[in-house]
Amino acid sequence: MGNFLEAPYLLEAVVVVLGLALLMLEAFLPKADKRLVAYIALFGLAGVLVASFNMKAPENLEHSFWSFYATDNLAFFYKNIAVLATMLVIVMAIEYTPVLEKYVSQGSKQGGLGEFFCLPVFVCAGLMWMASAKEFITIFVSLETVTISFYVLVAYMRRNVGSLEAGVKYLILGALSTGFFVYGVTWVFGLTGETHLEKIGIALQGLEGSDSAVLFAFTLILVGLGFKVAAVPFHVWVPDVYQGAPTPVTAFLSVGSKAAGFIVATRILQPFLEMERLHSSFTTILVIVTGATILFGNFAAIPQTNFKRLLAYSSISHAGFLLLALTCTPDQFQLTPGQVVAFYLATYLLMTMLCFLVLTIVRRSTESDEIAAFSGLHRRSPFLAFALLIGVISLAGVPLTAGFLGKFFVFTLAIDSGRWILLAFAVVGAASGFYYYLKVARAMYWEEPTELAAIEISPLARLALLLLIIATIVFGVYPAPILGLLTN
Amino acid sequence: MLETYLPILMQLGVACGFAVSTLIVSVLLGKSGKTNPVKDSAYECGMLPIGEAQPRFSVKFYLVAMLFVLFDIEVVFMYPWAVVFKDLLVTSLLPVTLGMAGFVFILFIAYLYVLKKGALQWRD
Amino acid sequence: MVTLNAYLLVSGLLFAIGFAGVLLRRNIIIIFMCLELMLSASNLSLVAFSRFNTVNGLPNYNGQILVFFIIAVAAAEVAVGLAIIVALFRARRTTHVEDMNSMKG
Repeated sequence: MGNFLEAPYLLEAVVVVLGLALLMLEAFLPKADKRLVAYIALFGLAGVLVASFNMKAPENLEHSFWSFYATDNLAFFYKNIAVLATMLVIVMAIEYTPVLEKYVSQGSKQGGLGEFFCLPVFVCAGLMWMASAKEFITIFVSLETVTISFYVLVAYMRRNVGSLEAGVKYLILGALSTGFFVYGVTWVFGLTGETHLEKIGIALQGLEGSDSAVLFAFTLILVGLGFKVAAVPFHVWVPDVYQGAPTPVTAFLSVGSKAAGFIVATRILQPFLEMERLHSSFTTILVIVTGATILFGNFAAIPQTNFKRLLAYSSISHAGFLLLALTCTPDQFQLTPGQVVAFYLATYLLMTMLCFLVLTIVRRSTESDEIAAFSGLHRRSPFLAFALLIGVISLAGVPLTAGFLGKFFVFTLAIDSGRWILLAFAVVGAASGFYYYLKVARAMYWEEPTELAAIEISPLARLALLLLIIATIVFGVYPAPILGLLTN
Repeated sequence: MLETYLPILMQLGVACGFAVSTLIVSVLLGKSGKTNPVKDSAYECGMLPIGEAQPRFSVKFYLVAMLFVLFDIEVVFMYPWAVVFKDLLVTSLLPVTLGMAGFVFILFIAYLYVLKKGALQWRD
Repeated sequence: MVTLNAYLLVSGLLFAIGFAGVLLRRNIIIIFMCLELMLSASNLSLVAFSRFNTVNGLPNYNGQILVFFIIAVAAAEVAVGLAIIVALFRARRTTHVEDMNSMKG
């Protein structure tokens, strides 16, 4: 296994140990301020993020361990996304403490809040392991680590009916998707006798007959993954769960769960799509799902009046754009679909977190997630209004923002591989995106506020917002650092 | 071979048939008495019906049962480890022992957490 | 001798019954049980595949390891799931899906 202390899996191990330490801290110091747990988590994860940039893939990959643990650029990139997303979620959770206290503690000060800061760390460990998983057993276990932690997080506000209902819906549909995914994996195992994706690819190439069984397995796995990434028609849980879950968790679901789904999809689809005989059937299924996702996500977002639900449909539509990249087989374009998806997810992380951070702060002072609550925000807090403006125009894909470049790469990829119909759908979708995203901007700048009290922002949140705004604009003009991490 | 089971099948049929036919006959022939609230109430030393028919379980019971299931299931991973332990001991001592030690350590942390949170205490 | 097809048939039936239960039943506890049935269906066919698709005369143990993990994950899922359902029952006094309607849009 080479040198024990320089191996990339230590990153995950450190995150797990951090989570366990936080849990112990929470249990043995019940009187301490729970935000202490959050700050330690934040520092620990920052350390992991720094360490991950210094971590190199081991040169000697002969040991069988490396056959189920990927150490390519993509894996490291997704690990960074996971850690960054978790850190931002914890910042958001600190801002969200008053709301949580109202629905969780009941009387005792900060009672039962500690776990809300520990669980994201475990989710992070699951996400990081998933980034490297290239074997069905590890994929399954890391996927479930993430999903089961999310069940708890979504239903965390146990005296809020909305949160509990969201939790039950996520639980039932999440478990259903697990059922489909596992059954699909079972059939793949039955057909090929393998659980390693690379060996499955080889076995599928040499498979004679049993086309329908392969298609059956592929469809089952696709259904399972479709639930995770919120693709139509497996998106039914998204709006309700996003609306009911605590806002930091919604942000985490939107970024973390989606990133997890797409890294798994990127790796799993590859051996199937390489199978020449059934390539066209697989692509047809993918294309239909993609088209439906883009159209539905964008059109259903138009009439929304609740900002969280709007972001839910926006999340579906972005899943559509990401799927579009996955259906492509590039001819000349220098980036692979996997790299384009990773780039898009990185930009999506920045702008979505920006929106949710503003939403969390505004929610605390207005007690509402409606778009109407943002009316005249620029009079109450010009900084927040500007931050949200950057967030929504980047989500819409206005040039000179990171969101534009993400869409630009996807569209170029689609042109390069000649997916003209899907491209037309995507253009229509992106155009309607302008309408519903800018609805929020209109409320902030052109409508009268219902109250004029200024909104206070904590220094930590202000710093996070500032960094996100800068990153969104800088990477929209100069994406080389991200691309450098991906291609190296 | 299957015909040896025929008597059992016949006996089953007779048993079920008897039960069903007596039920039907009692409905057909019997007259149901008239009821009123006074007649339905408990007579003299009978207990007054209070509360629901099913006793409610304490949430504690559920908690302990669930924790038992969780810790119990984890043992499943020790069986395959124990089976190959001796063979792997020769080639790779450190990963084999450290791996299980890490696993048990995580379980131990979980146990400490459960204990400290008072989930195993029966009395309040 | 029981054939592989027989196992797969039973497993497919279990999966179908579980899925039908999820779609048709209205009580969340029962829906949850049906979901576990679907996982059991996978376990059954995994073990069958592992037993019949031998490698060098031995069963293919990868599948059986996956079964262990599925069992462990299912137990964790049940623990968390039942806790959420109990919490919901205490808040709403109901475990029926029709009553899950506080959000619309």
